[in-house]
Amino acid sequence: MIGQDPIAAFRVEAGELLEQIEQGLLDLGHRLDDRDLVDAVFRGLHTLKGSGAMFGFDALANFTHHCETAFDRVRKGLAPATQELVAVILSAQDHMRALVDGDGKGLEATGDAILARLQAAIDGAAGTPVAAVAEAPAQGWRLFFRLPPEAMANGSNPLMLLDELRELGECKIVARTDAIPPLTDLVPVECHIGWDVELRGDISRDDIDDVFIFVMDDMELKIEALAPEPAVETVSLPVAANDAPPPAEANPASGRPAAKAGESVRVPAERLDELMDRVGELVIVQSRLSQLAHGSAVGSEMALRSISEEIERLASELRDTMMVLRMVPVATLFGRFRRLVHDLARDTGKTIDLVTEGEATEVDKTVMERLADPMVHLIRNSCDHGLETPEERIAAGKPASGQVRLSAHQQGGEVVITIRDDGRGIDRERVRAKAEAQGLIQPGQVLADQELLQMIFHPGFSTAAAVTNLSGRGVGMDVVKRTIESLRGAIDIKSAPGEGSTVTLRIPLTLAIIDGLLVRVGEGRYVIPLAAVEECIELSLEDDLRSRGRSFITLRERLVPFLRLREMFETGTRPDPHQKIVVIATGAERVGLVVDQIIGSHQTVIKSMSALHRDVTTFAGATILGDGGVALILDVVQLVTLGQHQEERLRAAG
Amino acid sequence: MTASILTVDDSPSLRMAIRIALTGAGYAVTEAGDGVEGLAAANAAKFDLIITDLNMPNMDGLTMIRELRKDPAQCGTPIIFLTTESDDAMKQQAKAAGATGWLVKPFVPEQLIKVSRKVLGR
Amino acid sequence: MQEQTTTQWGADGALEVLTFDLQEETFALEAIMVREILDLLPETIVPGAPSLVGSVVNFRGKIIPIADLRLAFGMPAAEATVDSRIVVIELETESEALQLGIRTDKVHEVATLMRDNSEPAPAVGLRWRRDYVRELVRTQDGVIVLPDLATIFRTFLGAGDAAALSTVH
Repeated sequence: MIGQDPIAAFRVEAGELLEQIEQGLLDLGHRLDDRDLVDAVFRGLHTLKGSGAMFGFDALANFTHHCETAFDRVRKGLAPATQELVAVILSAQDHMRALVDGDGKGLEATGDAILARLQAAIDGAAGTPVAAVAEAPAQGWRLFFRLPPEAMANGSNPLMLLDELRELGECKIVARTDAIPPLTDLVPVECHIGWDVELRGDISRDDIDDVFIFVMDDMELKIEALAPEPAVETVSLPVAANDAPPPAEANPASGRPAAKAGESVRVPAERLDELMDRVGELVIVQSRLSQLAHGSAVGSEMALRSISEEIERLASELRDTMMVLRMVPVATLFGRFRRLVHDLARDTGKTIDLVTEGEATEVDKTVMERLADPMVHLIRNSCDHGLETPEERIAAGKPASGQVRLSAHQQGGEVVITIRDDGRGIDRERVRAKAEAQGLIQPGQVLADQELLQMIFHPGFSTAAAVTNLSGRGVGMDVVKRTIESLRGAIDIKSAPGEGSTVTLRIPLTLAIIDGLLVRVGEGRYVIPLAAVEECIELSLEDDLRSRGRSFITLRERLVPFLRLREMFETGTRPDPHQKIVVIATGAERVGLVVDQIIGSHQTVIKSMSALHRDVTTFAGATILGDGGVALILDVVQLVTLGQHQEERLRAAG
Repeated sequence: MTASILTVDDSPSLRMAIRIALTGAGYAVTEAGDGVEGLAAANAAKFDLIITDLNMPNMDGLTMIRELRKDPAQCGTPIIFLTTESDDAMKQQAKAAGATGWLVKPFVPEQLIKVSRKVLGR
Repeated sequence: MQEQTTTQWGADGALEVLTFDLQEETFALEAIMVREILDLLPETIVPGAPSLVGSVVNFRGKIIPIADLRLAFGMPAAEATVDSRIVVIELETESEALQLGIRTDKVHEVATLMRDNSEPAPAVGLRWRRDYVRELVRTQDGVIVLPDLATIFRTFLGAGDAAALSTVH
C-alpha cells in the first residue's frame, strides 16, 4: 500500500495514468472522432502535468504540457485528431514514463525530437503566459468596494476581506448602507453593504488586488492612490538571497531517488473496511485482556481462555483479509498486452484485433506478475507465427484482420487463462521434422496428435523456420511451461490446422475467495463452489433405495448420474434420512452429489492443500470454518469427470 | 476549534500532498476521490472549506459545486477549486457555479495554506 | 534406489534433537526443524489420502497434514492419550517449505545426541524398513531412532522435492 511518501505515490499514480493514456490513445487510433476518448486522454495528460509539477517533476510537467495543449486543441474542436498525432503522443508517452522514473537528464534530445514531431502534427503552439508586471508602491490608497450580491452565499466573507485589508496597514473603514433594499425585499444571504476604506502605508496595488482576487471580476471596486506624503527616506534592506531553499538536487530527501519506488497495491475501500472491522474487534478484545490483567482473579482462567480463542480467530481472519488485499484483477495484466499487440501489428504488417474477456477475474498479485512474461511470449507467438498476413488470410477465405483473444475466468480453485488466435494453426509436419532432427522422436514414430504438439515444450524447440526479430528473444515454450509449472499451474495447447491455436493456462490461486455451499457428508464438512451448483434436490429414502446400483436420477427428462459422497469418502456412517442431491455442472455436463445435509452458503477463502496431498485430486483445496475447523473444497471438474466415467461404464454394461 | 476541510481530487498523490500540507497547518482533512464522493462527504458532515479539482471522473468539479450550492446547508461554505486552465473560461464557469475562489496548479503548500487562511480567516 | 538422508552432525559431533515416543520406541528429530508442539487439534480426514497422512488440521490458518509415523513403522494406530502431542515440523523442499504435524504419544525433551554413540541401521534384526531409519543412537535410557522422513514421504512428493529433502540439515 501507499505510504506517506508523496513521490512514491506519485510514481505509482503516474504509472497508472500513463497506462490509461496509452489505452485511450490505442482506442483513439481506431475511433479518431470519439470525443469521450479525446476527453479521457486530455484528462490523463492534464492530471499528469498538474501533479508532475506539484511533485517537482518539472521536466515531465513541461513536456506533458505540450502534449496536453495539443489535445486541448483537439478537445475544443480547433484541430482534428489524426493518426499522426496519436502516434506522436504514444511515443511521447514512453518518454514521459522515462521522465517519471528518472530526472530527465540526458533525455532532452529525445524529448525535443518528439516535440518537433508533435509540432509538425499540429498547427500552432501554445501561447506563453505573460509575466505579471510589478507596480510601484504607493503611500496609501483610498478605495470603495461592494461585493456582488451572491458573494456571501458563495463563500466569500466581507468581514475577512476587511480583516485582510487591516493586516496590510492602518485602516479607516466606513460602511455604506445606501444600497440596502427595504426589509420586505431583503434576501438574508445577499450582501448589499459597500465599504469606503482609507488604507495607509507602503502597500502595493498588487497587495490590494490579492485581497479581492476571488471577487475582483464581479465586484464594484474603485481604487485611487492617496496623495503622497512628505518624502520619507527609504532605506533599501539587503535581500537575503541565500535564504532561498536549496535546489532540489542538493537535497536527496526531497529529490527523486534513483531507486524504484517500493511495490504498491491499489486496494478497494470496502476491503480495507473489512480489515478495519477486524482491527476494531481486536482492540475490543485487547481491552478485555488488559481488564483481566488488572482485575481480580476470580474465574479468570475461563475468561483468559475465551480471550485467547477470540484473538486466535481474529488473527486468522486478519491474515485472510490481508491476503485478499493482494488480489488484483487481470485487467491490469491484459491492459499491458494491448500495446504489445499494437506494436506487433505494426512490425509484422498484419492487422490484429485484440479481444479480451473476463478482465475482472482476480489473481494474487505475485501470481499475476509471474504470468506476465509467459503471456508476452505466447501472444508474440500468436501474432508472429500463428496469424497470417492479410493477403494469406484473404486467400484462405478468412477476414483480413486476425484476432487474438485473451480470456480469464475462475474455475474452482484455479484461474483459467486462454490465449486464442484464429491463425494458421501449428504446422504438425514442421513440428515432426524438427522433433526428428533434434532426436526427440524416432523418424516415423507413431505419435498421438497431442503428443506431437507437446514437442514444442521441449527445450530449444522453435517451429519458426527463421527466428524472427519478434519471437526469438531467448525464451522458448519450455521456459513458458516451466514458469507456469512453478506456479503449480498447467499449460495445454490445442491447434486446428487453418483455424488457429488455443493455449490454456490453469493457475491455482494461492488464495481466492469463492462463494461456497457448505455441506455435511458423514461427520465431515465440505465446500462445493457455488458457481458450479445448479440446484439442490431432496433424495428420498425410497428413491435412494430404488436407485441403488443405478445411481441415476431423472432431472427434467435427462438422466443425471450421481455420486454418493458418503460411499466415495468411506465415512462408515449411516445415511441421513433426508439426504440431498447437489447438482453441479461444468459446461453441459452435470452430475449429482449426494450429501447428508446442506449447511448453507459460506464465503470460502481457498487454501491450498499440502504438497503431501497433491495426488488427492478430489479436492481443490481447503478452507477454515468459523469454528477453526477445516472443510475440504470439492474439485468440481474432477467429480464431474468421475460421474461421466461412471455413466459411460454403466452404459457399456447396458 | 480545528477547521475541517474536504478535499476532492481524483489524484491520490495530489490529495496526499494537500493533506500533508493542510494537516501540517493544523487543519483536519477529509478526502474524496471525485464529485460523487465529494457530494456524499459534504452531505454527511459539515466542512468549513471544500477544495476541489475540476477535471474528475464520475462527477466533475463544476457539477459538484452546482449541486453543493443548491443545498441551503452549503450556503456560504467556501469552495476553492484547483485549476491549471490557462484560459479564463473555466474560471468563470466555476465562479458562476458558485465557487468562492481558486488555486492555480501547480502550487506549493504555502500557497494552499495561504488561500485556506484567506477564506477561512484562521 | 533413492539415496538415504545423511544426518548433519555438528562439528563437535553433537546433534540437538527433540525426542518423543511412538508406542514403546523413542524417536528423535532435529530440533532445528521443529516449529511447535501442540495439544491434539480437531483433525479433518482427507478421503482418498494415504493413511500415513490421512488428515489435516488448521495450524495458524494453514492447512497442514498430520502424519502418523506409527504406520510407517508397522505399529497399529492407537487412541490418543492425555500425553499425546502433535509436533509441527518444517521440511525445506525445492519449491516450498513443507509443514506437517507428527502425531506422537509423548514428547520428552530437547536432547543432545553424540555421533560417537550412533550407528547405521543394521542390515538384519530390524523390524522396520531399513531405509526408513537413518541412524540408531545409544543413550543412557536406551536406543533412539532417527527416522528418515524424506524417504518416508518420498512417495507423496515429486522426485525433485524428495531429493531436495534428503539434503537438508
